[in-house]
Amino acid sequence: MNQKELIEYIKNNFKGIENIKSIDEKQFSITVQKERIINILSFLKLSNFKELALITAVDWIKEEKIEVVYILFSYEYEQQLIVKTYIDRQEPSIESIKNLWEIATMYERDVHEFFGIDFIGNDDKRPLILHNWKDIPPLRKDFDSLKYSNTIFGKFKKDKE
Amino acid sequence: MELYSTKKLKDEGFEQILNFFRKKSLWMLHYCTGCGAVELPPTMTSRWDMERFGMGPMATPRQADLLLITGYLSLKSLKRVIYTYEQMQNPKWVIALGSCPINGGIYYDSYSVINRLALYIPVDLSIEGCMPRPEAIIEGFIKLMKQIENGEAVGYKKYQENYKWYKQNQDSVLKREFPVLSGEEK
Repeated sequence: MNQKELIEYIKNNFKGIENIKSIDEKQFSITVQKERIINILSFLKLSNFKELALITAVDWIKEEKIEVVYILFSYEYEQQLIVKTYIDRQEPSIESIKNLWEIATMYERDVHEFFGIDFIGNDDKRPLILHNWKDIPPLRKDFDSLKYSNTIFGKFKKDKE
Repeated sequence: MELYSTKKLKDEGFEQILNFFRKKSLWMLHYCTGCGAVELPPTMTSRWDMERFGMGPMATPRQADLLLITGYLSLKSLKRVIYTYEQMQNPKWVIALGSCPINGGIYYDSYSVINRLALYIPVDLSIEGCMPRPEAIIEGFIKLMKQIENGEAVGYKKYQENYKWYKQNQDSVLKREFPVLSGEEK
């Protein structure tokens, strides 16, 4: 199947897609509601998108929303598929997909550490990369990295000549 | 800052005779944290040939004299650098490569990369550049040898003398119990 046929196939067989569009000839994206994320991902896994390449997030601070992004890959169709969903920024939570792909536990642990998103069903919330972190998650847009660096490591001062 | 003593340290007497021999056989432990590590293989191998100065790479900290910090240090690797440094036996020297251990370099606003290495362990010599070429590294080595001969490379003595000050700085980044952003900028 080429990309056009794939888009048609997904449109006809899955109800509740908000938006589906092609990015270039090797990539296309799907936007769904938060409640349907497990349904669409298990449907796509059965239709030969067997590889979960990445889970990540984008913080849209003006819209008060966080976008959760799942990147899938199919070796059969040679297509990359980006599945997006939007969740509330104040209390970000979404169902875990660790039962579909086991590797998702690590990705979700990582996204939880850097964006503070609560993945329901994934209890592994141990810190993975950051050392002794007590502030708001560092990849939120309201986190001031320069101020943090100046406070903890000291500001760079020019030596007096 | 009161913890930091202003006493001037220098190698004198019999140490100076020892220093003459020490500078001729330096064993180097390179802690490859950052991008600077890529400049070391050409420095060690035939093109720039570090061995003509009597230097060689060493695998373990307990048998090394010289610790090379090759580039940026994140908080997690700072902890390991301190462990490594404290395992090394006296006399020991530290060289920091690149601009990142001096002032943060391009990571000056990063939340996980330290800005100034000299606050946490004593640095005898910094080689600036992003990254320094093997020629610059070798010039740094020669300069360190001169410092050792003159008895000026006394970083390890400074560390013993001002251990409380260094320990306080290390704890302030590694053992923080409150959110950072509520504090004041240094």
